[in-house]
Amino acid sequence: MIRPYFSSAWAVAWRYLHNLYTKPAVFIPSLLFPLFFLAAFAGGLSVVGKAPGFGYYDFTAFQFCFVLIQASTLAGVFAGFSIAADFEQGMGRRMMLATIHRSSIVVGFAIGAASRLLLTWVVVTGVALLGGMSVAGSGINLAGMFSLALLGNIAALLFSAGIALRFRSLQAGPLMQMPVFIILFLAPVYVPQNLLTGWIEPAASVNPVTALLNAARSLMAGEPTGLLAAYGVAAGMILVMAVWAIKGLRSAETAG
Amino acid sequence: MSNKGAGSKENGIEVEGLVREFKNGPRAVDGIDLVVEPGEIYGFLGPNGAGKSTTVHMLTTLLPPTAGSARVAGLDVATQGPQVREVIGAALQEAALDPHLTAREHMKLQTSLHGMDRAERHQRGEELIERVGLTEAAERRVGDFSGGMKRRLDLALALVHRPRVLFLDEPTTGLDPQSRASLWSEVTRLSSEDGVTVFLTTQYLEEADQLANRVGIIDDGRIAAEGTPAELKAAIGRPSVEVTPSDGARIADAQGILADFGAPVPASGETIGIRLNAGIDGLVGIVRAFDTADIELASLVLNEPTLDDVFLAKTGHHLEGASESESAEMPLPETQNSRA
Repeated sequence: MIRPYFSSAWAVAWRYLHNLYTKPAVFIPSLLFPLFFLAAFAGGLSVVGKAPGFGYYDFTAFQFCFVLIQASTLAGVFAGFSIAADFEQGMGRRMMLATIHRSSIVVGFAIGAASRLLLTWVVVTGVALLGGMSVAGSGINLAGMFSLALLGNIAALLFSAGIALRFRSLQAGPLMQMPVFIILFLAPVYVPQNLLTGWIEPAASVNPVTALLNAARSLMAGEPTGLLAAYGVAAGMILVMAVWAIKGLRSAETAG
Repeated sequence: MSNKGAGSKENGIEVEGLVREFKNGPRAVDGIDLVVEPGEIYGFLGPNGAGKSTTVHMLTTLLPPTAGSARVAGLDVATQGPQVREVIGAALQEAALDPHLTAREHMKLQTSLHGMDRAERHQRGEELIERVGLTEAAERRVGDFSGGMKRRLDLALALVHRPRVLFLDEPTTGLDPQSRASLWSEVTRLSSEDGVTVFLTTQYLEEADQLANRVGIIDDGRIAAEGTPAELKAAIGRPSVEVTPSDGARIADAQGILADFGAPVPASGETIGIRLNAGIDGLVGIVRAFDTADIELASLVLNEPTLDDVFLAKTGHHLEGASESESAEMPLPETQNSRA
């Protein structure tokens, strides 16, 4: 049972990646998106890093962590777009008919979305290093930081898959993208959490992305803190979103 | 792999009281019962919106039934979906193909989706591409394919895992006659040589007539009639004949002759029609009688009962698109045309 399951999942992932990399019009903008944010935040707002009490060793590295989490979660959302497009255009039905266990479709898109991240990470990290970002964390620290980004990607993919499978139309795109975008920007994007004031401060303190972002920044700085909370939050998000996605799959099955 | 002789109901379909209701809509399928024997080609004939595709979607586990039961290859479609999907193949109404992939890449995708052994994938893909005549186009993107090529590829994809039961939902809609004939030939071969049970929906009378061992006529979500095409046609009556005398002044004479061979049926203009009392055997007598009476005929048309006649008799209305008459117009040989 396991081999056919992963054969199906890999087939879904292969097609996703094949179509992504053979359609530059789709792929290149999604790669430019995080680069734009990196340039805008790290370059345009670099003076923020000199604010009293900022306390982080490198502003570019500080922003890189956010862009990494952002690019990773949005890659998950973009995979959700592909699921919706497939169901809108009929390929979803082919996959529903051919796969013995249909959850392999979602797993396949998750594998595809995660694989897609590798190139995004390489490009964004390369550009950040070229832009003068200094890395204080060790290799293990960085692996931890990237693993948090990967978990964010999986959670976002499962969230988007749940929407895509319920609506089975690209018109649901904003429903996938907007909540993720909002939750990302309700985290401490520009300054550390302790400098936030006003309504954003309590919003950020309950935002699960804050835990991921703070942990990623601490790993980048080589001073890991809040890892247990970050991994716990990520695992919790993945668990909740997995249930959401599977229920979406059942909804798609019921709708035919 | 031949499934011929698989025995019992292993390759068959059994449906009992199958119902599908959609929210805020009528019953798309309203309690149908049917049995498809192993290795049989079953034609499911009906107009658009009759419930054909909804039935196929339920039998292929794409849609759960609202009520009733259905077993495909002995497996319950409602509770054994994964097992059902292992033994069925389906080519649905709109060929769901990725325009960015080549035919060969589709084969790779489909064989992998089915979880086939890596060693077998390539060989099976090539075999099927060749069988449906797409070898030369195998590396072309499907977006550039004609409708007929897409249908053939879709059929090949439905066969990659050697299904025991094949569902074809209006497989020839929109195809040119040559592509249609080619697809018919392959479907017939699958049934006769490989023993695959074929459940074929169509709105084409000719398709059901030519291909199906048995036909189920569905209208408004219910099965209106079922049987072999010959049984269905025989059940509604004998053939009719229409004659048009060359000389309009001899219509009364012609009517007198035809009255001996059957009861009148409506006909237009200078044409006279009768329902043949003796069936098709009466035709020879009619020709001889006109010959003896020295009445020259402009035309003589034999109208065999068609599945549309069956449809009309069973549902009270014609099948959409059945206007293309299936009557067998018989151009008379020169001697008879001039003499009879």
